[in-house]
Amino acid sequence: MINSKSNKKWKIEGKEFDSRLMIGSALYPSPEIMKNAIIASGSQIVTVALRRQSAGEQGANPFWEIIKELGVTVLPNTAGCHTAKEAITTAMMAREVFQTDWIKLEVIGNQYNLQPDPFALVEATKVLIDEGFRVLPYMTDDLVLAQRLADIGCTTLMPWGSPIGSGRGLMNPYNLKVIRKQFPNLNLIVDAGIGKPSDAVEAMELGFDGVLLNSAVALAQEPVMMGEAFKYAVHSGRLSYEAGAMQKRDMASPSTPTVGTPFWHQFA
Amino acid sequence: MRISVNGEIKEFNRERLMLNELLEEMQFGKGVAVALNETFVLRTNYAKIDINDGDRLDILSPVQGG
Repeated sequence: MINSKSNKKWKIEGKEFDSRLMIGSALYPSPEIMKNAIIASGSQIVTVALRRQSAGEQGANPFWEIIKELGVTVLPNTAGCHTAKEAITTAMMAREVFQTDWIKLEVIGNQYNLQPDPFALVEATKVLIDEGFRVLPYMTDDLVLAQRLADIGCTTLMPWGSPIGSGRGLMNPYNLKVIRKQFPNLNLIVDAGIGKPSDAVEAMELGFDGVLLNSAVALAQEPVMMGEAFKYAVHSGRLSYEAGAMQKRDMASPSTPTVGTPFWHQFA
Repeated sequence: MRISVNGEIKEFNRERLMLNELLEEMQFGKGVAVALNETFVLRTNYAKIDINDGDRLDILSPVQGG
């Protein structure tokens, strides 16, 4: 078998993975479908969250048991937080429950499109990095924000493709391309807005290191099959990026050799 | 004393109530994390934390997330 460069491991936040697809655990029709979709996707990093527990719920947590059985790396989020303080507190709670210093930091600034608040995000990131967290910030595709987050120590940035759950794909590939160009050494993940495997291919072909998605798989007609589709899409997009696509041309250029073309004669 | 636990008001007829006692009494599981008045409390400190009238507790456990 020919070994492509893309078969090498991917390193993010001090850990190595085979898959560059990060997947969410929410919105699936059933826990069983969630489990099978995650397996089919090949993803080794799964996002999880914290919510209020009802009193009297002393027993096991079936959801959490499934995730533990899968043996994946969990990436807790701070979804639903609207201030830096809320996000910091949630991150600390997540670190204790999930036993990880990884945090997908979300601070929502607008309820209509769930756009991250860049100011609160930088504020919370700074505190959490000082507290020893590995912060994976969910951010807008703003170059200056990327710079600020890199300056305070982020080694992974996760700009949105489009609003969470919208399935609109990459709204602004130019912005993503510029962030990629300006930060060649950071891990860049397109997080949110991916709707179809072709969107994931596009993100990977821009040179992004990975893709994080949830709704695109969970809300598909067949989530398990879609999980598998994304597995191939992310891998394919990465191979394409590493292989280097040809340049576009305005004019056609025949692919079959023109020398020896039949039916041409000097007498004609 | 009246305590807000996960957004619901609960009455406790006690002179003194420690956080670990409240969690046990309300039968919360082991795999939870606690915030008292929006500030995280380390699990190892539950037995040292006095709960006071008007306190707000958030007791969270793992759920699905994106």
